[in-house]
Amino acid sequence: MDEVRMVRDSYPEPAPPTAREIARAKSLLAGPPRRSRPRLLWGLGGVVAAGAATAVALTLVGGNAPAPPQPTGPVHLDDKALVLAAAEKAEQQPTGVYWHTDVVQGQSFIVRAKTGTYAITGALDEMFGWWGAKSGMGEGHYGRDLPARPVTARDAALWRKAGSPSTFRVWAGDHYDTYTTKAQKWQMDGVNKGTDPHGGGSLVGALGMSVEELQKLPSDSAKLAEMFLSDKTIYKKEHPMGAPAGRTRQVPPAVKLHLAGALAQNPVQPKVRAGLMRAATTQPGIHAIGRDTDPLGRPGVALAADDTASTWTGEYGGPQAARGTYRSRKVIVFDQRTGAMLSEQEELTKPGGPYAEMKPGFIIDYVAYRSAGWTDTKPSPSAELPFR
Amino acid sequence: MTGDPPPHPAERFDEVFDAYFVEIHRYAAKRLGPDAAGDVAAQTFLEAFRQRRRYDPERAGVRTWLYGIATKVVGRHQRAETRALRARARLGPGRGAEEHTERVDARVSAQGLRGELAGAIAALPRGQRDVLLLVALADLSHDEVAAALGISYGTVGSRLSRARTTLRRALGGTNPMLTLEEQHG
Repeated sequence: MDEVRMVRDSYPEPAPPTAREIARAKSLLAGPPRRSRPRLLWGLGGVVAAGAATAVALTLVGGNAPAPPQPTGPVHLDDKALVLAAAEKAEQQPTGVYWHTDVVQGQSFIVRAKTGTYAITGALDEMFGWWGAKSGMGEGHYGRDLPARPVTARDAALWRKAGSPSTFRVWAGDHYDTYTTKAQKWQMDGVNKGTDPHGGGSLVGALGMSVEELQKLPSDSAKLAEMFLSDKTIYKKEHPMGAPAGRTRQVPPAVKLHLAGALAQNPVQPKVRAGLMRAATTQPGIHAIGRDTDPLGRPGVALAADDTASTWTGEYGGPQAARGTYRSRKVIVFDQRTGAMLSEQEELTKPGGPYAEMKPGFIIDYVAYRSAGWTDTKPSPSAELPFR
Repeated sequence: MTGDPPPHPAERFDEVFDAYFVEIHRYAAKRLGPDAAGDVAAQTFLEAFRQRRRYDPERAGVRTWLYGIATKVVGRHQRAETRALRARARLGPGRGAEEHTERVDARVSAQGLRGELAGAIAALPRGQRDVLLLVALADLSHDEVAAALGISYGTVGSRLSRARTTLRRALGGTNPMLTLEEQHG
């Protein structure tokens, strides 16, 4: 299927601008020239900014005093207990006045060198964003491309055997990409980057929720499961005008796991994060799989969805060796000590197709939360690379 | 360093406005809905006007440059976009309460797909969504998207393929075979 065409066709043709809209836009240009700011030109003042300034004043969750530290747990925990123990820790995390996220995203590619096939992580980038808790406290967004790198120590050995190339030309499913081992400095220019001294307060919401809505979520896992993870509620959200009676849809567990993870990495109250993790463990098709390591090499405990098959058909061309079927599953990893969400990744379960030479557990793509949380002072990104 | 710049929006901005306002408005309307489109298009041209002396014809065509600015402005209305995607799911075919005939069932699954697709697009990371929609809605080439967003050609390709993969995975669940009839009585 051609997703781009599907997307194009799904957007209805809008009405053209009215004469009034055109006239108003033109009249703005006739105004006195303003000093332009060097980076992003944020709020305009007046009409346009009104839309963006519907920022919700955030009530900070000051009331929930952190629970006293508890003695560290028992000697042996089963897989589910490990996740629940992490959830307990999540309840104890403090809140602050600035929310930040530092997100590393990467994708694995196969390099078919004559000296041996190995995998690299490419399309690697890091986005750092911070938001003041209230509108007007400001926000900032940074981004940088990270160097492509061999995935495991074994891949690194094969990469050296191939002469330690600094560029990789790889098949990306529908085209060839070239990635390099060059690092980039933090960028403040460009779309989705820059500083807005007047921002903050909104923007961080998950799936259209405002910060205020996020803050008001219940912490009870049964309620959260009902609100976000049940087939019925997801189906209802897909049919807001009313679903036909007697019908429902089996929502794939991977989608539910993603929904839980997406919410958990937002500025929700720590006990809501804990509740979400508990809620996820009760969903059919989602399992606690015990200890796992995230793509940044951090140990944690993990939940996984039932695996699914994917097939690379060659409909876009590409090497013969990249075609065929493999199975993989979505995994989310939590920090056992703090309950923080570490990563969401797709892990190979049954090698085949493009990943025929890889082992189960191989990470196909990922989003890793290098850090996310509240601070009392304005956060800034670390110059240090997330990988050694 | 450059010497004399070629013809430039700095000198002929009214022509730039006349040539592209409708198109940029259309892009904004598709992404954010009719209510925000006028504001976003106006803001795009105001920012373009302010930056017109810094426009570099070596880097991007005027149209590409405008789409880059429009995408920035849209980015600031991200919540509005998510709302628009949800609204679009609601207004898909099959609207109305009189869902009786079997024919309606086919329409309902189309509506479901549409809702799912809208939801999947809404859930994409901003960077991927911008690339996908510049390709799908503005018909920009990879080169043009790279110039519009100030990212590398490789990043455009990787974001697009990642977005595709995500949509494909998300839509996998809308296979009609997975829509279950629940037992009646």
